[in-house]
Amino acid sequence: MPALKVSGLTYSYGPAPLIRDVSFELRSGDFMCVLGPNGSGKSTLLKLLTGFLKPQGGHARLGGQDTAGLPPRRLAALAAYVPSETVTPYDFTVKETVLLGRTARAGFWRGYDAADEAAALKAMEETGMTGFADRAVNSLSTGERQLAFIAQALAQEAKVLLLDEPTSHLDLRYKAAVMNLLAGLAGRGLAVAAVLHEPALARLGCNKALLLERGGGYYCGAAADALVRENLARLYGLPASSPLLP
Amino acid sequence: MAKSKALLLVAGLLLACLLSLAAGPAGFSPEVILNLRLPRLLAALTVGAGLGLAGALFQGVLKNPLSDPYILGTSAGATAAAVFCFLAGIERSSPLFFAAVFAGAFGATFLSYWLARLAGRLSDASLVLAGVAVSAFLSALVMLTLSAARERAFSLFYFVLGGLYAAEPAVLLFSVAIIAAALLFSAARWRALDAMALGEEKAYHLGASPERERIVFFVLACAATSAAVAVGGTIGFVGLMTPHIMRLLAGPSARVLIPASAAGGAALLAAADAAGRLVFPPAEVPAGVIMALAGAPFFMWLLWKSSRGRN
Repeated sequence: MPALKVSGLTYSYGPAPLIRDVSFELRSGDFMCVLGPNGSGKSTLLKLLTGFLKPQGGHARLGGQDTAGLPPRRLAALAAYVPSETVTPYDFTVKETVLLGRTARAGFWRGYDAADEAAALKAMEETGMTGFADRAVNSLSTGERQLAFIAQALAQEAKVLLLDEPTSHLDLRYKAAVMNLLAGLAGRGLAVAAVLHEPALARLGCNKALLLERGGGYYCGAAADALVRENLARLYGLPASSPLLP
Repeated sequence: MAKSKALLLVAGLLLACLLSLAAGPAGFSPEVILNLRLPRLLAALTVGAGLGLAGALFQGVLKNPLSDPYILGTSAGATAAAVFCFLAGIERSSPLFFAAVFAGAFGATFLSYWLARLAGRLSDASLVLAGVAVSAFLSALVMLTLSAARERAFSLFYFVLGGLYAAEPAVLLFSVAIIAAALLFSAARWRALDAMALGEEKAYHLGASPERERIVFFVLACAATSAAVAVGGTIGFVGLMTPHIMRLLAGPSARVLIPASAAGGAALLAAADAAGRLVFPPAEVPAGVIMALAGAPFFMWLLWKSSRGRN
């Protein structure tokens, strides 16, 4: 059974279609990049997959269960989501932030137990954030903060990991580090999907690609087939000779 | 919270209590302390704890460091309901009075929230604006009512101004019970508040239902606020300042912030009430006026800080 199965997913904010009849599968070990121009519905798609937005047509199934009927706590145990913007006015430490990833597992009426602590420590280790445990998240650099919120998502121990622009605002070193980390997570059995803005980054470990066009068209396939120059030139409306394309 | 900081908070609370028992133009006789100042101290502690708790809950669930029961219009709603109850002849110690005051608080809070949401995305500024509009309208209603009800206006005027007087034991007991219940319930559910402090979208993806948590914490904060208003009238800025001071002391996690804000609010208001008796003896300055004198500059500083944080 695929970790995530999307069939006929449809959504729009107004009369113009944004996501139209999109179908694809994500299996354990897959690392899929979601590419497309601004306004092609990349972020909206991720929110449909987590059930935050309700699809106007079609289904998203996580581990075989339709997201439409599931309460947030069940959904959070099936899929973890890292938003593109992670700002809070309060100075939570990295460890407090990562532990909050255990919300769905722990519920609201008990404190954290040993399993929660262990999961948080493991997530911080995997992301290289162990040394930052007691630092305030707001005092970290953009790249470190991104890693802290990936650690929070890992502490959720969901099989599916969805990330909205995890490499935006990062320098090249952190972009590579995040892609490397995500590829490694797919390697140990997670199903990972990340919205990216630079097609070149997808070469760092993605085996699948979903290309979303403005107006509802899409293409999903193996990264090697999808990420060819002609496809990307058409997707972004650039000449095939553009030096921006990989 | 580190042990030393917890001790600091307890020491501050004790100091405020001692100050409140000792301060005043009437001297130090045992009768004055036991019959006048102790009941008044108990009222100050109750009101302060309720407002401090409500402030911590609002600031967390709305992810907005500028919110508190005074700014959101919660206090104004509760005060308006209380004034109407007085004029309608409803006993202050009756459950009906408390129910009406809670309904006023909850209605005003939701109105502010709904107005702020009308503008599209909820922002810190839109919430404060909506709260100011709702508060101003309700305060005008109260003033209108007071002008019409001349013979009882004087005592009501002091209630609206936020003065602490020895409350009837039944009223105080009722308020203490409500605030204690809200404190215990919210302290047990602290993790939901921390999730909401990361934003509603993030809270959803961590497994919390934002709509449900918003209602739960609004109800708890409005219950604490209305219990505080029933005893002390409109006292502003306790709910705003206390959580900010407690975050410096205890960190932002609601696990410690919730009980610390209740204790800190109690200490702050007891100290403000004592200060009100000390500045112009033998005249008394209502605790609400002292809090506004200290709180308004604090609010300006917060506005300045949050505008700097955005750029």
